[in-house]
Amino acid sequence: MTTRFVSAAELMGRVLGLPDYKFVIIGHPISSASDADLAEYARASIDQARNLLLRT
Amino acid sequence: MTIGVLDPSNERHAAQARLAERTVSLRGKTVGFISNGKEGTEGYFKHLDYMLRKQLGVGDVVWRTKSNYSAPAEAEIVDEIKKWHAVVAGVGD
Amino acid sequence: MAPPIVTTHEQPTRKPPLTSKVYDVADFSAAQELFHSNGWTDGLPVVPPTRPAVEACLDWAAMVPEQLLGVEPVREQPITAEKVAINAVMAGCLPMHFPVVATALQAMLQEEYLLHGVTSSTGGCAALIVINGPIRLEIGANATFNALGNSDRATSVIGRAVRLALINLMDVRPGGIDRSTLGHPGKFSYCLAEDEEDTIWEPLSVVRGLPLGASAVTVMAAMAPRQIMNEWTTDPKEILETFAAEMRANQLNYSIYGGNYAIIIPKQLREPIQAAGWKKRDISEFLYERARVRRGDWATVGKGSVVRDRADKIHPALQSPEHLLVIAAGGPAGGFGAVIAPWMGSKTKAVTAAIGACVDCASPKT
Repeated sequence: MTTRFVSAAELMGRVLGLPDYKFVIIGHPISSASDADLAEYARASIDQARNLLLRT
Repeated sequence: MTIGVLDPSNERHAAQARLAERTVSLRGKTVGFISNGKEGTEGYFKHLDYMLRKQLGVGDVVWRTKSNYSAPAEAEIVDEIKKWHAVVAGVGD
Repeated sequence: MAPPIVTTHEQPTRKPPLTSKVYDVADFSAAQELFHSNGWTDGLPVVPPTRPAVEACLDWAAMVPEQLLGVEPVREQPITAEKVAINAVMAGCLPMHFPVVATALQAMLQEEYLLHGVTSSTGGCAALIVINGPIRLEIGANATFNALGNSDRATSVIGRAVRLALINLMDVRPGGIDRSTLGHPGKFSYCLAEDEEDTIWEPLSVVRGLPLGASAVTVMAAMAPRQIMNEWTTDPKEILETFAAEMRANQLNYSIYGGNYAIIIPKQLREPIQAAGWKKRDISEFLYERARVRRGDWATVGKGSVVRDRADKIHPALQSPEHLLVIAAGGPAGGFGAVIAPWMGSKTKAVTAAIGACVDCASPKT
């Protein structure tokens, strides 16, 4: 989720029954980001994803 | 003397959901992307696809795009999730 | 011998009880603070929803409290008559306004309206509600002066009730589910009646498939009105060309994709169009042809980066003439009209529903 939509994601988590649902947060916006920015966001996502997707 | 006023909100509590079981490693596994199809998402997912394969050893990445970015994913896409080991759904734009 | 007198004792009719939680507040001001602090308002004062006021709405509409008006599918949220009635009272509705509110929400809960999408989007649309049929006269809905503003009590409170129901029953609050970047004033209330008495045209509800004489609402996920002006011709094509130009401008400046557009035609512009023998169908067919843009023209408004290799693609504002909602409304003088654009192409569709008709039946027309 991009930073500006974090509160929306938190609300939907509560509404759908997982109030502490964790998700990856990246910079905003995507629509006008450069390719280098998008690569950086993907890198940040992988770092966060290790904790979210894998059993540690 | 007081006034009795009624609660206008939906008072109903959300059903509790559960997190899916986490796996120890994604090596050789399948990850699905559910994109909202907005401008810029393709570039982001392209980089993510590459990094998942290179850094986490993911075996296959399946790309799906919702037909309507403001609506939940279609039932056919949600059904496919059963075949994947992890899902990345995004992105707020 | 006279037959025995048999008496029967009628059982008093048991009203199903309301089940919403009751808060006891000291007075009107305390009620305001309770509601504001809980996020239950649109920022304006509300009418405290007491049990008698809510029951009066349900009685008028012959609905039981737990009657299901629909289910919001994303959140699997049941929307009951009781809860809608509470929000209607808060908005200032009298019992006679409630059936319009209930029907509008039922229509918005139809799948094709895409309620979650249109209420959560950054695009910031509001629910445009158009009232047709005899109920307009019964509730005093005024279709003339200030038709798109604060024309009368009925349309003001009906539109507001719908917004309060979205806020309270579907968490559509700014910064919550409602991610609108800007929104527009229609989010307070966006309701008008059609001036059926002062036009030879068929009512909108009839064009959309309902029988003449039925009371009905049409709902559309709509942007703010874009006012046009053309007081200098009586040629229908020239008048409507101005509407078409505004639709084309919307396509370039806001969203290029075709969907339901609504146009409001007040009396001063209606008269020459009617006099030339044009019906609503003729208007729709004309605008279907005229309201379209070339994708490459995006470059003239700063959007060259998304033209890509499709510069010659033609985008019509209307996917078919039937997608135009032509509404006769507005004061008697002034060569003004309005174009109301869709939220985002045809991802959402306008829905028309009869008031007081079968609640379990599919919508007659989308």
